[in-house]
Amino acid sequence: MTRLSRSVLVGTTFAVAFAVLAPAASAGDLEDIITSARDATFNATRITKSVWGDQIEVTDQLVEHWSGGELVKTNSAWTVAGNGRLVTMGEVPSGLVFLTAQTTPEIERYEVGKVTDVTHMHREAERVEIMEGDLKRATLIIDKRSGAVLLAETFNEHGRVFRTIALSDFKPYRMYPEPEDMSSVPVQVIMHTDSDVLPDEVAGYTMVDVFPGPGGSEQGFYSDGLFGFSLFSISRRTAIDGFEDSMALITDHGLYEMVPTARDVRMRWANRHQNFVLVGDIPPDHLEEILAALPTPERDSMLKIWWHKLFG
Amino acid sequence: MARMNADQERLSMLMSCYLDGELTPEELDEVVHALDADLDAIAEFRKLKEAHRAVSTMPLLEIPLQLLPTGHLDEELSAFLDGELGTAEIPAVAAHLESCGECRMVLMDLDQSRIAVRALPGVESPEFLDVHRQANAESKRRTPAIIALATGVAAVLLAFTVGPLGSGGDQPTISIADLDARHAAVASVPSAVQISNVTPSP
Repeated sequence: MTRLSRSVLVGTTFAVAFAVLAPAASAGDLEDIITSARDATFNATRITKSVWGDQIEVTDQLVEHWSGGELVKTNSAWTVAGNGRLVTMGEVPSGLVFLTAQTTPEIERYEVGKVTDVTHMHREAERVEIMEGDLKRATLIIDKRSGAVLLAETFNEHGRVFRTIALSDFKPYRMYPEPEDMSSVPVQVIMHTDSDVLPDEVAGYTMVDVFPGPGGSEQGFYSDGLFGFSLFSISRRTAIDGFEDSMALITDHGLYEMVPTARDVRMRWANRHQNFVLVGDIPPDHLEEILAALPTPERDSMLKIWWHKLFG
Repeated sequence: MARMNADQERLSMLMSCYLDGELTPEELDEVVHALDADLDAIAEFRKLKEAHRAVSTMPLLEIPLQLLPTGHLDEELSAFLDGELGTAEIPAVAAHLESCGECRMVLMDLDQSRIAVRALPGVESPEFLDVHRQANAESKRRTPAIIALATGVAAVLLAFTVGPLGSGGDQPTISIADLDARHAAVASVPSAVQISNVTPSP
């Protein structure tokens, strides 16, 4: 598989000239496709559906997308995200800005497979298969004019669709300005740091950045160029809200608390030293490989727990 | 009688589930394949079938629940949570948990009680407790689930009672929504582009 460099990403023109049923394109085209999708300008309703075992999660959002950013309306609240910044315009507006020193991961795992001209939502488009070895990992339908991904299907290791992201009411232009008062929203600025705790690589995913998290925790962001997740290492003394209605994921390595959503999956477990939380959009088989490569769940002995309770 | 290995135990369990009509199509294929090719499996199946028939024809008696041979997991659940199951035991326990909702509920209750206990404020325990634990990991008899559950509840109550003996400080809390937002912000950096959206719920 061709190794990729990200050095020519920014500003690359989306100049795909694939013929119908063209032979496998070079892996470098995948970088161009992703970059063009990221830089696309459009307004649409985005419907995301994920299948986790017997459970199906669906969500829809009004999205306005432009180069490096997104304005998203969910349940009447606006969120702006992009370039390491996330601002939520709720009752109490708040924001996060991550000052990053990201390394540039190489996409070694995937390459572009078959490319086919199609018509989607009355628009000229291309269907692009993304291969992970012999496995078709994703199919993208890409609008030729804007470069936007109109439909993305992600497959699990059995070749079944595990996540579908579809745009409807697509308009290749912006309709809303960013909220005017966003600049006055107080933001928390978070600087890049280093970690002695989090691994540099996990199951084919490379750590591209580390940030300090709340309560003395650390956040490592991992990517394989296509999917990504954050791994949080948190003190055992810190409680983590949001897993009250979690489901149990049982693997050969132990019991994990799992909250699947349409857009991502959230995992929680602990060993004797740390709590771990994983948040990401990774496929189920990648998730299993990642969990197997990370510290596995362990529990304190009852004697130790009693010691804590009796003597603080 | 020779002790069954993990594969045999799993097959025996699958055959028992087959007799109860509780198999998934994949498990059914596995049982059919074994019965086609394995004489030992056929013999085991006949024994199970006879036992099943005998049980199904027994008169219903009012027996105290705790005396009923339920076949559910007990001390294995506690050991499973403690990461102390033998390698060969894990698949059998995991397979049983997949098929038995009752045991899954017990496991979740047990886990929740332990989380509740663990989440209470405190300080590091002396190292000898860990050393003691490691030295006795193999020989330690596992706490039956029901006892562990009761112990957990008692520990919670006791901890609230004697709380002032401890540090008494507020326990820090992190929301998964906050972590999700942090992930979304970091994932929105251009060199971390992905095909999926990254914006969380507000």
